[in-house]
Amino acid sequence: MTDTHCPYCALQCAQKLGGDPIAAEPRAFPTNVGGMCQKGWTSAELLRAQDRITTPLRRTPDGSYVEVTWDEALDDIAARVQAIQAAHGPDGVAVFGGGGLTNEKAYQLGKFARLALRTRLIDYNGRFCMSSAAAAANRTLGVDRGLPFPLTDLNDADVVALFGSNLADTMPPAVQHLGNVRERGGLVVVDPRLSATARLTEEGAGEHAQLVPGTDLVLVLGLLHIVFAESLADDDYLTARVDGVDALRRSVAEWWPERVAATTGVSETQLRRIARTLADASPHRGGRGAFLLTGRGSEQHVDGTDTVTAVINLALALGLVGAERGGYGAITGQGNGQGGREHGQKSDQLPGYRMIADPAAREHVAGVWGVDPGLIPGPGIPAVELLLSLGAPDGPRALFVHGSNVLVSAPDATAVRRRVEELDLVVVCDFVPSETAMLADYVLPVTQWAEEEGTMTGLEGRVLRRRKAVEAPTGVRSELEIFAELAGRLDAPSTWSTEPREVFDELRRASAGGRADYAGISYERLDAGEALYWPCPSEDHPGTPRLFSESFPTPTGRATMVAVRPVGPDDVIRAEAPVWLVTGRVLQHYQSGAQTRRVARLNDSMPHAYVEIHPLLAARIGVEGLDDIRVSSTRGSMVAQARISPDIRPDTVFVPFHFADAGMVNAVTSSATDPVSGMPEFKVCAVQIARAAS
Amino acid sequence: MKVVVVGAGMVGNRFVDELGRIAPDIDVDLLGEESYEPYNRVLLTELVAGRVDLAGLALPTPDQGHVRVRPGVAALEIDRARRCVVTADGEFEYDHLVLATGSRGRVIPIPGLRDGLPRGAHVLRSLDDARDISAAALNVERAVVIGGGPLGIELACGLRHRGVEVTVMSIMATMLDRDLDPHVAEIAERTARDLGITFVGDAAIASVSVADGRVTAVCLADGTTYPAGLVVLAAGTVPETSLAGAAGLETNLGIVVGDDLRTTLDPHICAIGDCAETSGGVSGLVAPGWAQARALARSIAHGSDLELPPIAGSAMRLKAVGLSVVTMGVRASSADEHDRVVTLSDPRERRFIELVARGDTLAGVTCVGAPDLAAHLSTQFDRPGMLPIDPMHLLMGSGSTGVVESASPTTMPAATTVCRCNGVTKGDLVHAWDGGATTVEELAGATLATTGCGGCTKLVCGIVDWLTESDPPKISHDATSVREATVPSR
Repeated sequence: MTDTHCPYCALQCAQKLGGDPIAAEPRAFPTNVGGMCQKGWTSAELLRAQDRITTPLRRTPDGSYVEVTWDEALDDIAARVQAIQAAHGPDGVAVFGGGGLTNEKAYQLGKFARLALRTRLIDYNGRFCMSSAAAAANRTLGVDRGLPFPLTDLNDADVVALFGSNLADTMPPAVQHLGNVRERGGLVVVDPRLSATARLTEEGAGEHAQLVPGTDLVLVLGLLHIVFAESLADDDYLTARVDGVDALRRSVAEWWPERVAATTGVSETQLRRIARTLADASPHRGGRGAFLLTGRGSEQHVDGTDTVTAVINLALALGLVGAERGGYGAITGQGNGQGGREHGQKSDQLPGYRMIADPAAREHVAGVWGVDPGLIPGPGIPAVELLLSLGAPDGPRALFVHGSNVLVSAPDATAVRRRVEELDLVVVCDFVPSETAMLADYVLPVTQWAEEEGTMTGLEGRVLRRRKAVEAPTGVRSELEIFAELAGRLDAPSTWSTEPREVFDELRRASAGGRADYAGISYERLDAGEALYWPCPSEDHPGTPRLFSESFPTPTGRATMVAVRPVGPDDVIRAEAPVWLVTGRVLQHYQSGAQTRRVARLNDSMPHAYVEIHPLLAARIGVEGLDDIRVSSTRGSMVAQARISPDIRPDTVFVPFHFADAGMVNAVTSSATDPVSGMPEFKVCAVQIARAAS
Repeated sequence: MKVVVVGAGMVGNRFVDELGRIAPDIDVDLLGEESYEPYNRVLLTELVAGRVDLAGLALPTPDQGHVRVRPGVAALEIDRARRCVVTADGEFEYDHLVLATGSRGRVIPIPGLRDGLPRGAHVLRSLDDARDISAAALNVERAVVIGGGPLGIELACGLRHRGVEVTVMSIMATMLDRDLDPHVAEIAERTARDLGITFVGDAAIASVSVADGRVTAVCLADGTTYPAGLVVLAAGTVPETSLAGAAGLETNLGIVVGDDLRTTLDPHICAIGDCAETSGGVSGLVAPGWAQARALARSIAHGSDLELPPIAGSAMRLKAVGLSVVTMGVRASSADEHDRVVTLSDPRERRFIELVARGDTLAGVTCVGAPDLAAHLSTQFDRPGMLPIDPMHLLMGSGSTGVVESASPTTMPAATTVCRCNGVTKGDLVHAWDGGATTVEELAGATLATTGCGGCTKLVCGIVDWLTESDPPKISHDATSVREATVPSR
């Protein structure tokens, strides 16, 4: 049996792989407490995917694919990259990465883009995931680590407030850490739907604020207003540790509860109740602590960064951040959403969460890479902007895709498909023929989770070992090998190890002294069972499970409250688009579904998208039973079966985003983005709905 | 370009804030008579109620480089010929002058009040008024609030919340008469009575008794006397037009402006908020004033035309401790014959809800004693085209319709999901039981139920108990009559 972790979400449930046929079972670990959802239980099925790719594929002019040798593929790719860059410059080639890649692969991908392709144009799907929370945490607390405390801390608190997170569907075993707060009546869930997680507040376990989509920020401003108006803030803490308090206090004076109620649909009585519950749980009022956690529901908006900022402001106002029990955290989505954003896939960053425009950072990383700092390109552009620039005049002509299925997962996905179709060269590394792979000029077959060694950084900032349990099928290569082969063909400087352990050791040196410092974390220490949370600057350092207890990693050592104001959704409700659309996840699927739709048991229980709709709205458009509904926006439309349910607001429909073809909701979503983080507004747009002719 | 704003209240402040954001090249001076920095006047009754402290009233000060806020600078005169505002601190030249002078509390001219307010008598307009009233509330047992509109009722509830005995007097027959039809006002009055507030309608107030320069009582024409150490006047407001009037601008109830918010006689001077009289009248509420501020800021910044925001139908949301009243749009009494008016009257619970559906839109809402529903209906008000087929359903709010699924292991249908994490139904568990798994551990091994978040463990235990009783292990399968005949296999 091999001890490793689940291939999917950021909870990274600990599992054992073994047996014949190989199967997964859970093992004891603090985050999953021996639990695993059906995605984890069935994960070994991925190793037996019927349409696994084991030979490089080249697209022919008629659109079909022929098998080619690795050398043929790599030689031709390198030659075409050189030709494109000769004509269009280094930025003629772009790279799109993924939050599911191991730390080693994410690190090497960033290095490959900068040194082998010499392009500044790299970004990744984590932009759709963590970017708003990251930007907000950086500007207020000085560092972005999803949970700056172990998940198990939640067990001891009086209150856990979830702003737009549906944990019970996205990472079910994590719900075990909510048991105690539910017994104390302290679970607060802010969600336009009575989601599985919101249901956990029933029977006195807490509060569900079923707000209007897109009004999250207004709601949090209302809570802040009440905290200050009713003198519930921790003034001693604010004086000792926080800047910007006066401006923040003034900025919320305009958001009195009755006004907030009219915008959010959450009554002033409930707002006051929630604010007082939070305050009573806070240490300065004798409480056992409160945790305020954000998920994509509050982050994926054009004011997502500001919304998270407001939540952090609230946590600071109550003296929670850095308290013994309590704080703010973002619930990371993708498996390595945390590590993936720290080591150079982000358009403006170098390993160790260093900023690429910072001369000292460039010098340090260039030293590790053994190159002149001037060789490292400058900042690129964030994901949506990058995708929509593909093939445009002056835009890139070639694209490398790693660990992402952008044709399903990007907003306004039909527009993205049109952009990708314009390109001269598309290279996709994947192990199954995903929708994006099926548009590539070359599909390069790569190893998957149980076939490789590496590390992942879970939602708590704890580094975890991924271990090899089976041999990869013949013909498949790891991305580290592909980077090395192409770097050689492109005459890239520096060294290109294909050994995960060696790459990790290089990553440690590159991250040393950075915000996400991995210098002291080694495979040996991890294999010996040490629980290592970054920053861990040296091998004799125990790691840092909890941040902020003494100070904040800012120049002054203090946190900063940043005053924000709501702008509302980019789309507006109007006669042609009178209904809000919200997108999200179901328990059975992960991300674009490229993996989970290939697992029979998952696909059988959730084979298609659906449109969740309130009975009143369904009646209004003449939909009943199992009718199909067409959901349309100015971008495009999708069709799926109605799921009539009173769990959703009557002015809103919900569609899961894991599906392609007719059920692809990202054909409808908006590519409007947050001006600070580049996060697309997946969580709200205005649509028309109608019964679809069957 | 230079813009001068007279009046640093809610609307003047908002105008400057909006203009400062969209037009960083315009030079703005905001002149405020009070010596305080801008504060939230809307919350003054909350200050009296003790639900917000002084620091909680301070508004963001838009002061930054090209925008200068000048508290304690009173405008003495407008020199229209030279386009400047004269103050004790010098002159301020303008290309655009915006008057946001607001209004003052109306003092009814009766004996005891007409020659200046005695001690213990107040209007509620400024921060100083609110502080004086709050201080008085600590020392008096009884107070009379004159005026039964939103301000008077909020104030009465706030004083009552502080333990003061409160009587509200109105010359109108009913409470909140501008906002509520009489039969609805009746329910609000009952709530007020429950709180310990006395409402006196049709009150012919004759005089205020004063002894030693301090109020002692309010007397009605019929001779009834209400002893009171505190009298607060909330009997309407008077637009503050004196500066405009002295400058020769047209004034009526307020400063008369056109649909472009410019004064009728001088296009370089505009008026917004409570001091402005548009074709729709004088506002008196903050939301329309803010809408005017925003519209005017955009018009001045972009040199564009302006669409006058409406005043009629503006929402009124009472901020009163213990009494929830929200109204917006059309009332039943002003509905037309094509409108659908749906009413829920629940006097015992002090609750009343009235909806007016006009065509495909929710055109009117009145909610008393129903804050959750009021919040939901506020979000549905005036939305295009998605009313339920039967507007009655709007009364159900946004939440679930109360469908209760059977959580009893005995009665729940076989298809009910027991373990969400692993998609295990009750039928699956029964099937596994039939296959020989007869403990929670064995059922977990066979079906994976309880192996995710563990939230279903209690329910699985219940199913084991039920099956142990109805279908004990090692006994033949003749007990199917007590459960669903068809059990899907996995």
